[in-house]
Amino acid sequence: MARAAAAEPTSRRNNTLLILVGLAVVFLVLTPALGMPKSGASPDEASLLYGALVFYAAATAFYVGFAVSGNDPYARFASLATWVGFAANTLAVAQRWYVAGRPPFSNIYEMLLSFVWTLAALTLFVERRYGVKVLGTVTMPLAVVGVLLMQLLPSAVRPLVPALQSTWLHIHVTLAMLGYAACAISFALALMFLIKDKVRTETFLAATSAMLVGIYLGVATRFDPSGGLRVAAWDPAEGREIFLAERTPLLVVIPGLGWLFFLVLASAVVPLALALWGVWNRRERAIEWANRVFVLSTFVQGLGLVAFLLRARDGMYPSGQADGLFATRLGASPFLLAGMVSGLAAALLYLMLWWRRAGLERMLPDADTLDRLTYRTIGIAFPLLTLMIAAGAYWANRTWGSYWSWDPKETWALITWLVYAGYLHMRMARGWRGRRAAYFAILGFAVVLFTFFGVTYLLPGLHAYA
Amino acid sequence: MESQGRSLGKRAWQELRSVRTGIVLLLVIGAASAAGTLVLQRPLTDSQSLARAYSPQTLRWLDALGLTDVFHSWWFVALLLLLCANIVVVSAERLPMAWRFFARPYLRPEPHFVSGLPLQAEIPVRRADTGLAAAESALRAMGLRPRRVEANGSVSLFAERHRVARLAAYVVHASLLLILAGGVVDGLAGWRGFVALTHNQQTSTIELRNGGIKSLPFVVRCDGAGQENYEDGTPRRWWTRLAVLENGREVLKKEIEVNEPLVYRGLRFFQSSYGSTGEVESIHLSAVPKLGGAPQSIVLRPGEGVALDAKTTVRLLSFVPDFVLRGNQIETRSLEPRNPAIQLLVASQPGGEAKVWLFPRFPGFAHPDASPYRFEVADLEMGYFTGLQVAYEPGQWAVWAGAILMGLGLIMAFYMVHVRYWVVPVADNRGRLVLWVGASASKNRAEFEARFKELTRKIEAGVRARSSNPAPVASVTGA
Repeated sequence: MARAAAAEPTSRRNNTLLILVGLAVVFLVLTPALGMPKSGASPDEASLLYGALVFYAAATAFYVGFAVSGNDPYARFASLATWVGFAANTLAVAQRWYVAGRPPFSNIYEMLLSFVWTLAALTLFVERRYGVKVLGTVTMPLAVVGVLLMQLLPSAVRPLVPALQSTWLHIHVTLAMLGYAACAISFALALMFLIKDKVRTETFLAATSAMLVGIYLGVATRFDPSGGLRVAAWDPAEGREIFLAERTPLLVVIPGLGWLFFLVLASAVVPLALALWGVWNRRERAIEWANRVFVLSTFVQGLGLVAFLLRARDGMYPSGQADGLFATRLGASPFLLAGMVSGLAAALLYLMLWWRRAGLERMLPDADTLDRLTYRTIGIAFPLLTLMIAAGAYWANRTWGSYWSWDPKETWALITWLVYAGYLHMRMARGWRGRRAAYFAILGFAVVLFTFFGVTYLLPGLHAYA
Repeated sequence: MESQGRSLGKRAWQELRSVRTGIVLLLVIGAASAAGTLVLQRPLTDSQSLARAYSPQTLRWLDALGLTDVFHSWWFVALLLLLCANIVVVSAERLPMAWRFFARPYLRPEPHFVSGLPLQAEIPVRRADTGLAAAESALRAMGLRPRRVEANGSVSLFAERHRVARLAAYVVHASLLLILAGGVVDGLAGWRGFVALTHNQQTSTIELRNGGIKSLPFVVRCDGAGQENYEDGTPRRWWTRLAVLENGREVLKKEIEVNEPLVYRGLRFFQSSYGSTGEVESIHLSAVPKLGGAPQSIVLRPGEGVALDAKTTVRLLSFVPDFVLRGNQIETRSLEPRNPAIQLLVASQPGGEAKVWLFPRFPGFAHPDASPYRFEVADLEMGYFTGLQVAYEPGQWAVWAGAILMGLGLIMAFYMVHVRYWVVPVADNRGRLVLWVGASASKNRAEFEARFKELTRKIEAGVRARSSNPAPVASVTGA
């Protein structure tokens, strides 16, 4: 079914594009209408960021359009939109730098701001220098999720606590941002390599469904026995979550939403099971059905996201931990929302692959080039990660009197380093290329994501403020 | 039995020499480190939280497996040692090969080498010397320094760049071993401790992390400490003025702050915490005679009496920093002066002794008493302690040297390519005189091919220019 895509009439192809761009525009109009809280950031920065969001999203739409249609004008529009978004992003960084009087690196909001900036810069660089035009299809959705997350995180300019007043902090974080953005690019290139290397579409289906199952299992931990979904309560006056004790936020129950996400989880499990069963027993029919259920599942996910946006945006809900009704805001659950948006983005990217694989493959540079570019990008990322760890150790030594204390963030930075070291040895010493290397690059980026977000929110440690 | 043992040893050795083992070890160490961040670790968590998080049986298992203190467990150390052994063995086996590249450049290609070289070209020339001259200037134009190699009566050219890149992997591996060695030295010989000092207090003993006591060969004195705040009340800066005394003589003075430690004899003193001792240092009071008269300002310190007039003295009886009544018991909620309460003892000649309570936060509060004076608190200065971390890490210099070396090694590994060019005038298989040009690069071969084509084009152009212009030819023959 997917292989026949190239033969389809152009008119239908353009319709798909119109729908995609239309969806992006609707999404963009909805975002401000939903009144995401902007706690404390100066209005100029907020509007600049919103501008960056609009243009990054438009760039995403055009990159996707280019990837499925191969129309060069789309690629030009995509680049243009990325440039405009990048300019707005640069101004937002400059504005914040000016207001705070220091580089924007001191909390996770500022780190995301710098990360998205670096990601866009590197995307534009790789596109210009190496002519990989479809790179934005993967990196721009990442940038959009990043900017969306920023809208939800507390963004007030806060004075630096004494431990953070160090030039070494700036060196450390600059290196981290550059290194992690390079890792993101290598991830995108490795994915493209796998597509070009004729990895079966079913495998992508299984991987995407597995990721979705992971995300919605995470959401399911918030399931309430009453059928509701537990989200953190929000104190509108203070502009932050309500805490019962340190690291124990007050949770409110949104009734009915739990069942909906249970359904979403089920809708992600079915295609995974069908695809695995189909691949194992070589049943084409099972895989066909897995794809159909996956389309349905994408709709259910969209439904879940919309329901979540509508219900968790505002309103008073009861809590199991205290009497009375408490307010909540989207800002109270940034990671639930980011998980859902990333899941939906991944599902849509898979569907794009399923519908238009042949066209997409024609768009991509050949497998060897992609393999080499992945290696080159990691060749940039790895020294940066090394120096980042060294600068961090030096800073820790000046601040806490110890260059290495096995705190979770530094341990995970080390794990990232070890994984990429493994990748490099595989290639340089053992000459392993191609798929195994690409899987390694993808694993590396998964570890980077965990280091960046997972450690900050799941594991306690000295890096509590970053 | 014995042969089996030997083959087992042989197999272990085989495993140790393979890069694959190294990669597996990297990943296993990564997984073990991940486990160390997911399971609560003993050195960082108190036993109560551990008991709350795990059932006694689970905890027994975790302890037995060393999972509650992964980074100090014998098997983690063993994994690191294995990795070091692997790095040493693998590097030692490959170093001689790389060293040959470095120490003995391959100046003149032999037939077996020529046949296996992927990048080569033949450029027809009329004379060997003009061809070599053209090649020399083309190589110079690329920023290389070609050298003339004479062997068996014929002259050829050799040029290379970044020969040192061949050693990059060994530099990186050596730096890693250096860093680990520094860590081992600090793990065995280093120590960390804590000391709290109040104003003018001095000490020469440090309380160690593991509960021991370390005495220093010198004395550290605190000459003052303080905190500065931002406008919103969050701390901006903590500082402590420290002096080091040896045999009673001041040898070093420094104001330290967070990120700016004092270093003396390899020991580093860090600003780590700052807080109130709960004791008051001085109270500024204004005493107003109840029967009328001019108020006077006095400063009261613990244990000192102050005479207000010929018949009346006042002294501090008690001080509560954060006053609260529980039942009828006076208690303090914290050590910070949030709601200070001051009790004075006023002794006057005819009236006897009177106890007076003062609450600076509630100036209106007045209890009838027999004191001839009324008191108002103008200011009070609390006693503060400054908390200092003390660290001795003799191995840290190896760590920093290793980090710098690793940075250099990685730059060599990724951004320096060892390129070599050979130019030899030979006769081709039809007997014509040609300039054989060969080249090799240690990496980035695809990009290098373009560079090589550029070079051959330049040499061809140079050869053409020289053959159409006879003057340089004459000069070469003249020489």
